[in-house]
Amino acid sequence: MSYSPYFNPELETMPRKELEALQLERLKSTVKRCLNTKFYQDKFAELGITADDIQTLDDVKKLPFTTKDDLRANYPFGLSTVPMNECVRLHSSSGTTGNPTVVLHTQKDLDEWANAVARCLWMVGSRPEDVFQNSAGYGMFTAGLGFQYGAEKVGMLTVPAAAGNTKRQIKFIKDFGTTVVHAIPSYASRIYEVMKEEGVDPARDTKLRVLCIGAEPHSEEQRKRIEHDLHVKAYNSYGISEMMGPGVAFECQEQNGLHIWEDYFIVEIIDPQTLEPVPDGQIGELVLTTINREGMPLLRYRTRDLTAIMSGECACGRTHRRIQRLQGRSDDMIILKGVNIFPIQIEKILLKFKELSSDYLITLDTDNGGDFMTVDVEISQLFTDDYSRLTQLTKEITRQLKDEILVTPKVRLVPKGSLKASDEGKAVRVKDLRKKF
Amino acid sequence: MIWNQNKECMSRDEMSALQGKRLHKVVEYVYHNVPFYRKKLQERDLIPDDIQTIEDITKLPYTTKKDLRDNYPTGLQAAPMSQIIRVHASSGTTGNPTIVGYTRKDIAIWTECMSRSLTAFGIGRNDIMSVAYGYGLFTGGLGAHNGVENVGAAVVPASTGNTEKHAKLLRDLGITGIACTPSYALYLAETMEKMGITKDQIKLRVGAFGAEPWTENMRKEIQDRLGLKGYNIYGLSEVMGPSVSYECQCQNGSHICEDHFFPEIINPVTLEPLPRGQKGELVFTTLTKEGMPVLRYRTRDITSLMEGECNCGRTAVRMTAIEGRSDDMLIIRGINVFPSQVEAVVLAIPEIAPRYMLIIDRVNNLDTLTVQVEVRPDYFTSDFDTPGAVENLRKKVEFKLRSVLSIGAKVELKAPGSIERSQGKSVRVLDKRVLK
Repeated sequence: MSYSPYFNPELETMPRKELEALQLERLKSTVKRCLNTKFYQDKFAELGITADDIQTLDDVKKLPFTTKDDLRANYPFGLSTVPMNECVRLHSSSGTTGNPTVVLHTQKDLDEWANAVARCLWMVGSRPEDVFQNSAGYGMFTAGLGFQYGAEKVGMLTVPAAAGNTKRQIKFIKDFGTTVVHAIPSYASRIYEVMKEEGVDPARDTKLRVLCIGAEPHSEEQRKRIEHDLHVKAYNSYGISEMMGPGVAFECQEQNGLHIWEDYFIVEIIDPQTLEPVPDGQIGELVLTTINREGMPLLRYRTRDLTAIMSGECACGRTHRRIQRLQGRSDDMIILKGVNIFPIQIEKILLKFKELSSDYLITLDTDNGGDFMTVDVEISQLFTDDYSRLTQLTKEITRQLKDEILVTPKVRLVPKGSLKASDEGKAVRVKDLRKKF
Repeated sequence: MIWNQNKECMSRDEMSALQGKRLHKVVEYVYHNVPFYRKKLQERDLIPDDIQTIEDITKLPYTTKKDLRDNYPTGLQAAPMSQIIRVHASSGTTGNPTIVGYTRKDIAIWTECMSRSLTAFGIGRNDIMSVAYGYGLFTGGLGAHNGVENVGAAVVPASTGNTEKHAKLLRDLGITGIACTPSYALYLAETMEKMGITKDQIKLRVGAFGAEPWTENMRKEIQDRLGLKGYNIYGLSEVMGPSVSYECQCQNGSHICEDHFFPEIINPVTLEPLPRGQKGELVFTTLTKEGMPVLRYRTRDITSLMEGECNCGRTAVRMTAIEGRSDDMLIIRGINVFPSQVEAVVLAIPEIAPRYMLIIDRVNNLDTLTVQVEVRPDYFTSDFDTPGAVENLRKKVEFKLRSVLSIGAKVELKAPGSIERSQGKSVRVLDKRVLK
């Protein structure tokens, strides 16, 4: 069967001039929509601007930034621009100290989101004949439902395998003839490790062809290794729940940068210190304005993700510009197995236990099973030497940490004084020993 | 409110005519697309034209879970793979899970049925509903999810786990509806009480409870502690997923989506159909499914079909609450578990004797599963001097069980000969849960 190389040919290859005209039209209506919220009314008043000040695309620079703290401060519905009866979905991030962030979607938002993900999946060569297995977590985590809806839109057979149970994942890959998989990069490596243990040869025993990897920064070397091991082509996926989830940007078959859907977003790269724009090619913080959302549009959202705009046209024929692979975060957030974690979340849980002192150390490391976290924490005094009691305490801490940060850390209780603060007085709370790219 | 007046309140004559027409069509469809059914029909000297009215259904063969297993993974699938857009899986009796493929139309009908349930529970556009069934291969999560979106309520895909955050969201977002297992609802109530969240601080109004049997007493307790009305929702992945049947505001029996699923009650021993009102095993024939239609699928659930009309105005027949099983399947935390799955794991581990005991209990409203296994005498004497050997073996059994059962089980290693032997057929299951 012969298909177009594009899922939305007209929009994906739209001449820049038309695309920019579309962006401007959508930006103007988004600004008007945002002014339904008190939050943006106040921000506009502070800056002394009105909706009429937005006449060109460049005027986006006049608009106020929005941050994750703004989302938290306006929890749960402060940034919503539609009445609740028009909302059909809510996603909520893992949250930090106080409030989680909440993102609202109307039916149209969900349709557009599915469409964006369908474009991405089509772009990497998925077609209705393919069998797509999604090993991302479902539920509040957007990569589960986001890819599910996109893959069903493409018309692929979609296996909602969700995270974990690697042996079963491999069984399904074999039994269903799975051709396309979405997984976080460290989990893709884990699948390969278990395949080796089980004597499964990806080239001989599976039909795997395409792997979509995202939600975790990873290097070109890691991609190459995954491609070699699993006998696939691997494509980089980028998305954040505040924008919707997966489908914001994705690599095409050129594997040289991620196309960001400019009919959905206005892209800026800024210097995170001065907040001034940086020239194309220079690394800075990615700032996105949603121009195709109803439930909770955001102006100049500071993603904290570091990347650069790549100049020049792409051989694939899409006119939407590309960004470089993600280079990390501009703040102290830890990204582990695709989940956002703040050290303070961990601290909050540890402090709940009266048996523990306030000294702790988070170590991030990599072994054969991928990235993992160890939390060393001091016992306040030798309250007991009962081994079973200590084991039980460790278990309870682990459980509560997992509930808070959504990944399971390894918890070690250490004697008082062994994690003493450094000479400068400032405690080191996080050690990142993960394999760097 | 009624979502689909036309279908849910159809006159009996019209419904029977529609069912007869659809039954003929589905039989013709499987005859031409599923070799398994073609063979079964031929063995009975049947051709699709022999099936003209719904009464003719008794001529058809039964389908069992074993048939699904023998035809793993897709032997009973009628639609070509290119038209299947999703699969779900449930536990099989041994190694292989049961796989069900859905076409786009199947998902649309499922969503329609879910919308009927939610509307019957009183969920509409202005509601916010959290879905705390597991998402993924289990039908509970995505099935309920699609329905909530379809009726225009806002869905919060909470999934399972992280109960404290869920409780916080219930309060902060003013969530009005929740879909989960009844035991999880009680666990949630307990968590809220521990966190100091009172019934007055939340706006829960509707609970859609299913995936495990529950009693009127549990309903009273949940309703009282969470301040909502709790409704039963029933389904199974082999037939579709949640919303094969659902309660209405009368909370007296679950209306079956009869235009899509034809119910029968049979005697599980003689396999004879039983008259209305009598208790027996529930059997479903899917009337509209494309992906994996089933003829007379034996659910193993024990219930009865109710006589008489319901005050809500729906004419769709009602089934009573599930009273048990005609096989040994256990439902633990909403997940189906067969003792034979455990047996398969135990037999594959050389250090373990082929003897085991499943102990199911309910602690703080959460089901627990403990599996006791016996270490073989030769292993017990030699290797066990090595420190850590016992723990390693225990972990190995736990890990293998988890990958087969999809839920965690606590494994206890027992000395050789210590698991009680009973006379004759050994008792392998001790279910200490009391459904009060």
